[in-house]
Amino acid sequence: MEEIDPRPGELSTPNRRPPVTPQTAHPPRAKPDARPMRVALGAGGLAALSALLTAIVVPARSPVAAPSDYPQADAGVSGTPIMVQRPIQYIQLQPGQTAPPGATVIDPAAPQPTAVVISVPAPAQKPIVIRTTQSGRVIP
Amino acid sequence: MIGARDLVSAGAPLGGGARADVRRPIPTADPIVPLSHTATSMGGRLMVYLDAEAVRSAEASRASAAVVARVESWAARLTRHSDASELSALNADPRDEVPVGPTLAAVLRAGRSAIGQSEGLADITLLDERLAAEGLAVEGPAADRSLVEAALHVSRAFDWSMVPGPRGTAVVRRPAGLRFDLGGIGKGWIADRALRLLADWPSAVIDADGDLAIRCAPGKTWEVAVDDPRAPETTLAVLSLAAAAGLPARWGVATSGISIHRWAVGGQMRHHLIDPRTGSPAVTDVTQATVIAGSALRAEALAKAAVIAGSAGGLALLERAGVRGAVVLTERGETLALPQTLPLLGS
Repeated sequence: MEEIDPRPGELSTPNRRPPVTPQTAHPPRAKPDARPMRVALGAGGLAALSALLTAIVVPARSPVAAPSDYPQADAGVSGTPIMVQRPIQYIQLQPGQTAPPGATVIDPAAPQPTAVVISVPAPAQKPIVIRTTQSGRVIP
Repeated sequence: MIGARDLVSAGAPLGGGARADVRRPIPTADPIVPLSHTATSMGGRLMVYLDAEAVRSAEASRASAAVVARVESWAARLTRHSDASELSALNADPRDEVPVGPTLAAVLRAGRSAIGQSEGLADITLLDERLAAEGLAVEGPAADRSLVEAALHVSRAFDWSMVPGPRGTAVVRRPAGLRFDLGGIGKGWIADRALRLLADWPSAVIDADGDLAIRCAPGKTWEVAVDDPRAPETTLAVLSLAAAAGLPARWGVATSGISIHRWAVGGQMRHHLIDPRTGSPAVTDVTQATVIAGSALRAEALAKAAVIAGSAGGLALLERAGVRGAVVLTERGETLALPQTLPLLGS
């Protein structure tokens, strides 16, 4: 078997390493305890997550029709006031959290509203020839 | 808008079972005069409105009468109330591949597109369910299915197809026993198709028993009253349908609901709008829905779907479909509309 020359400073025969005496050995250096930092980082993350959850705002593309929320009077085509329900931004809270003053909070278990509707005022009853109607008739 | 005072009757009954009343305008200084033509067809009313130059009023009357005759011809092919109709022949045919003529093929194609547009709710394959709701004995699927049966049916509603043939004909391929009821889809198709017959008239309206196909010349506005079903001759809303400056416009308006076409079976009131998910008359909080769209067919399919889906689901469906407007009357007496309807609401 070919023998490889040892590198400078290396023992040619590892088995013959000199014994280490207790006087020359360094005691293992004590590492800092990671637990307090982990706890601190975890608490910070939780705080950030909580802040994000608190501030989740429903985007305007999924607005809500809620009859009692912020009704505003608009002038319709005819000038007749029409109650128009505007898209409303809601805040959904985690249990135990408090809503900011003035915020409207919705029940997360409630079905997601999907459409904005307007209330149509009763028109002036005038004769119009063209009418769209249900078809058919009542059958006794 | 056509005012009743502008018209005088010059009644002329038509053949083929239709009763017609041609009205000619009182001559005025206005070079454009309105003309209307009234007939009884499809179990209801058929009306033709158009604006014509005074010198063309006689031509317009002939064109309107021709439209009425064509509508009668289509309705005779498409009705389920006559054993002699082509639709009844298809429904009675035991084969699972049946050739059909160009008119029925066109309406079936339209009905198939309506199923997709309405997310499956306007289904033209519900004849047996409709007959069951009327209390008529039918073999095959009955009303009040289980959920599994309903799911199977919904999948079956798309399990038919058409193979195009020569000159507009087709071969209908369907599961055994699948029968068709065109209903309002047929009326919507007829309204749109009849309006195409009046291509020479830039402002015209076909009223196929409440389903309207409308063409507006630039500068023209048609006013349409949405009927309030709670009291005769009252109006829920008025729609002003116009064309943008310089461009003609095409509109379709249709109304569907459960408060007019209804009957009692065994002491219970039933109506004609079948929910394909249950096979029974829809349980809904919508009394009536009117949809404004680009064609009468599309408006009809979506109005029916909105009623079947109920107010919350129906308005959401209409919004997803991108309709031009919608007016919904709920059983609570609310009159609701999608926001895009606002510019269309007249006085």
